[in-house]
Amino acid sequence: MSTNVPTSPVERGSLLAGGTRTRLVQAGPVEASEAVVFLHGNPGSSDDWVGLAATAAGAGKRAVAFDLPDFGETVAPDGFQHDVPGYAGFVDAALTQLGIERVHLVLHDFGGPIGLYWAASHPEALASITLIDTGLLPGYKWHSLARIWRTPVLGELFQATATRSAFRFLLNRNEPRGLPRDFVEAMYDHFDRRTRKAVLKLYRATDDPGGMSEALVGLFGDREIPALVVWGEHDAYLPWKYAERQRDAFPAAEVHVLPASGHWPFADAPETVERLFAEFLAS
Amino acid sequence: MPSTDPHSPIFSDGPAYDAVIVGASLAGCATAIGLGRAGLKVALVEKQPDPAAYKRTCSHFIQASGVPAIERLGLLEPIEAAGAARPRVHSWTRWGWITPPPDGGSRGINLRREVLDPLVRTTAAETPGVEMLLGWTAERLLREEGSFAGVAVRNPKGEERELRGRLTIGADGRDSRIAEWAEAPVKTYPNARFAYGGYFEGANPEQAPDAVVWFMDPQWAAAFPTDEGLTFYAAMPTKERLPDFKRDPQGALVDYLSLVPDPPPIRKGRPVGTVFGKIDMTSRLRRPTAPGLALIGDAALAADPLFGVGCGWAFQSAEWLRESVEPALQGSEPLDEGLARYRRRHARELNAHSFFLHDYSTGRRFNPAERLLFSAATRDAKTADVLERFATRQIRPQEMLPRAVPRALAVNARHALAR
Repeated sequence: MSTNVPTSPVERGSLLAGGTRTRLVQAGPVEASEAVVFLHGNPGSSDDWVGLAATAAGAGKRAVAFDLPDFGETVAPDGFQHDVPGYAGFVDAALTQLGIERVHLVLHDFGGPIGLYWAASHPEALASITLIDTGLLPGYKWHSLARIWRTPVLGELFQATATRSAFRFLLNRNEPRGLPRDFVEAMYDHFDRRTRKAVLKLYRATDDPGGMSEALVGLFGDREIPALVVWGEHDAYLPWKYAERQRDAFPAAEVHVLPASGHWPFADAPETVERLFAEFLAS
Repeated sequence: MPSTDPHSPIFSDGPAYDAVIVGASLAGCATAIGLGRAGLKVALVEKQPDPAAYKRTCSHFIQASGVPAIERLGLLEPIEAAGAARPRVHSWTRWGWITPPPDGGSRGINLRREVLDPLVRTTAAETPGVEMLLGWTAERLLREEGSFAGVAVRNPKGEERELRGRLTIGADGRDSRIAEWAEAPVKTYPNARFAYGGYFEGANPEQAPDAVVWFMDPQWAAAFPTDEGLTFYAAMPTKERLPDFKRDPQGALVDYLSLVPDPPPIRKGRPVGTVFGKIDMTSRLRRPTAPGLALIGDAALAADPLFGVGCGWAFQSAEWLRESVEPALQGSEPLDEGLARYRRRHARELNAHSFFLHDYSTGRRFNPAERLLFSAATRDAKTADVLERFATRQIRPQEMLPRAVPRALAVNARHALAR
């Protein structure tokens, strides 16, 4: 199916930031100080964003995505703090290095808390926000997999026994249409020992995933920041009922709940998400 | 249309009719046509004074199971001449599309109710022996010697008449007052979904004239191409989605349909008329007979609209009733025997279907059996064929399950081994 969404070529490279070299996906006018910045979740990498980066560039925007430390193929520097403030600090370093001053944030999964933490520290730099199965999570209690990761010994055991077939099964178990095989295989390829350890640290350092919600409402509620919310109705980790709650902090948000999608709508319904994103950027 | 003059001789008191039918929608008219053609005298009472009145909150889809009954009434030809689409159904499931075979598949009917209802009503009114009473509202049931014996009706001027008949027929829909007055035993089944729909032009799905249904488990959407190049788009989500639709019915409908997998071109279309909704879709299954009285169509069984069975079953139940009671009304057997035959037929044909419809209207997701059958149908044409004949209500669950389940198990086992 053709979506008629204009796209532009995406280039891969690398970036030295925050004491490490990270993989970089970039498209559009590379000198622009205003850019669409994509932050992936767990498990995930800059690879997640190739399609939407092309869409952003097709809309004339500079698009930038990079691996977060210990995800994708990027090694965290010594002493890196695997928590939300630590990752937000890395995002800040990367944006400084890229010369980006004004940001259209696009966040997914754990990229949500990280990106929102960064935005809360730089509210004047936030031009718009796109939340894909993430965002404010007031009152949210961790999903069952996160609870396993957060439990000492059990989390390590779980990670140690996450074979490729088990990973494939777990990921697809709750996805209404199943995820594209290449997408899952690439995700597992990146789910190495470093990433597995980083996941445990990150989840164990995050006791209250909804803890920032109230502060974000106070910070952004009156700013009329353009916002797009896309949520898969079958998301087994972050329930779609949080989609509407994003209007608490972003009252102008367009909210779209995809009735046949799961936690990764950009993977199971790429044409639809690219259309929504292109229309949002155009508006 | 015949005279609706309340002073015409037909309004004289007395047992003037073989049957008095309340409700001149599809089921009532179909019954009147059948009984009238059998030489019987029928009063057909309709509260709407306008002969062109039609049911507005309806997807208008007639399943293939209803087509033979329509054809036997001689209505198929005029329905097609009025521009009806003759769709098969393409179904999206999480395992892929279930598509009809290129040269096969059962065809239903799609014709807007604003065309269909006047066409059927005109045919009924022109049938010898049928007296159409438009603008008269049933007020109460008449009783004689322990049996129902017609209805008292009133017009907007306050004039009241008693229409006496040997058989009283309630064809007055899911909120049937006839059923209520007759104290017909009823079972109700709440529906966890709501419905919104509307017509669009310039927005036919690529499968047109075939219909398209998305089973998004538990959400549901459909596109029904119909006459005049229009497509009726429908959404039946679970009630958590209701606030969006209440806030902006048209916007929510268009957004919803544009977010389904392989979306239809609804955004390119132009809405024709208003988008309408139905929030309470409680199903009702009533005992369809009482002494001297029968219920047909939605008055007997108002099922979940999601499966588009209402219009087809209106024609079918009308035919079952006519076949069952005609000997009695012709004087060759007691009426009770005919009514008992109709009650058994109605139960035999529809009770198992309605069990599955009611169960799915809870808003639940697919159960293991449904997952087995739908997934296998995306992979195997024969399973798809059996499932399609069941979904179009041409075979009953007890006929479908033994044919489809063993094959579906084998198909899915082969599929798993091949991966």
